[in-house]
Amino acid sequence: MAIGDLYFWIFAGLALLAGIRVITSKEAIYSALWLLTVFISLSALYIHLRAPMIAIFQVTIYAGAILVLIIFVLTLLTRPDDKMGEFQHNVSFRGFGALTGILSTGLMLVMITGITEIVKKAPVPADLGSTGSFAKYLLNNYLIHFEIASVLLLAALICAIYIAKKDKKAVTQ
Amino acid sequence: MIDLIIALIKVVGIWSFTLGVAAVMTWVERRGAALIQDRPGPNRAGLFGILQPVCDGIKLFTKENIVPEKADKVLFNLGPIMFAIPAFSAFAVIPFGDRIIIGGKEILLQISNIDIGFLYIVALGSLAVYGVIIGGWGSNNKYSILGGLRSTAQLISYEVPWGLALLGVVLVYGTFNLREIALAQQGTFLGILPNWGVFHQPLGFILFMVAAYAEANRVPFDLPEAESEIVSGYHTEYGSMKLGVYLFGEYVNITTLSALTVTFYFGSWHLPYINMASFLGDGTIIYGIASFLIFCLKVSFFLWLFVWVRWTVPRFRYDQVMKLGWKSLIPLALFNLFITTLFIQIKYYIGG
Repeated sequence: MAIGDLYFWIFAGLALLAGIRVITSKEAIYSALWLLTVFISLSALYIHLRAPMIAIFQVTIYAGAILVLIIFVLTLLTRPDDKMGEFQHNVSFRGFGALTGILSTGLMLVMITGITEIVKKAPVPADLGSTGSFAKYLLNNYLIHFEIASVLLLAALICAIYIAKKDKKAVTQ
Repeated sequence: MIDLIIALIKVVGIWSFTLGVAAVMTWVERRGAALIQDRPGPNRAGLFGILQPVCDGIKLFTKENIVPEKADKVLFNLGPIMFAIPAFSAFAVIPFGDRIIIGGKEILLQISNIDIGFLYIVALGSLAVYGVIIGGWGSNNKYSILGGLRSTAQLISYEVPWGLALLGVVLVYGTFNLREIALAQQGTFLGILPNWGVFHQPLGFILFMVAAYAEANRVPFDLPEAESEIVSGYHTEYGSMKLGVYLFGEYVNITTLSALTVTFYFGSWHLPYINMASFLGDGTIIYGIASFLIFCLKVSFFLWLFVWVRWTVPRFRYDQVMKLGWKSLIPLALFNLFITTLFIQIKYYIGG
């Protein structure tokens, strides 16, 4: 087995194992930490795919910002000896989770055939994964997508401010 | 094979260098405090108390390792480790000197010369918060949890202006590569000033310094461990070497931040107005050592600045910290970014 393959299998296995632990952990904070393991293994896999930019973004945005916020909320709203038992044994949560899982697995199965087509046919550009080519593609070919995403984020921001303001007024009254 | 050995030497060298600097810093901190407060400070162990870090180390290693009964054992032990890993890894992309050429083989005085060095630094900076919050949570103590919460909020808030300020420098030099940024600071700017980042980005430098003090949890932003309010914050329950790792990690963080300040804003290994490479010969061993020493000299000034500020400025209140971060630093950082891009565009159109 080539060293690259070994690298892939180690981190793919770690990501899968950690992914299973995310949904089987008894405490929310452990789930969050296993999710951190998933993110870091994924970023290692991105490095294997010669996309260091994406790997770093994976760590910065998912592990460094989103998951930190999740842990922040967990530490703010729960206690260290709290268990998630009542949530985990809730039938409607479980049913919803199972439904989402089956649907997303189905979606992935549908997409796998498409992805293999793309991977086989498209030639690999010489400057794949470099910062310059990334920026060039983002700001030339995909500018509209980029702008739409930023407008979406702005809308979310305005909504958040609106909700926060409304709560404040309710408290003062 | 020879590349591997060179890389190993560099890794071990920088590892022991940061550890050594951190150890000396614990002594500098206490002597500096004493100097500012007009008292002798630790002066018994060795000359001027220079052996004090060794004594502290022996003390911390031989103390009893206490784990609180109600603590979450796994998280409690994981906390210091997750604090130490990002702190020690960040130095990997910082150039600590120019280069040495031995027998036609170029050895960069930098562990890893990667193209996304800047993004690597930002990513590791954002991971630093885990050690603090997990340690605080795992201790199962209200002061620890409060310290962890404060630290998370503070680090998230100051990560933004910190990154935005550095982005200004990246725009000026047009690269994410830290070695290229360092190389670009040779020569003069506007004819009279050294071509350093601080003269290109004066506002960005101030924003970066303020945010860096907050990132390192140093006074005036040491709210996560404010001893007059929440005992000792996230490391209240820690003792022996686990506490040592936290305290040591803080000094390693300070060293890294000082090195970053020098790399981004103070010309890394360059002396103002003197082109060392032509003076001593590019690639010679003496030039490599000289560039490393100049880098160390600049870093030591910023290390001293950390101590100086700590014993000069009182601590902020929590809401003041949040207000400063979100209402002053972030708008100013965005303004700085806007002005920088504007100048770059104007220069582009004039210069063609």
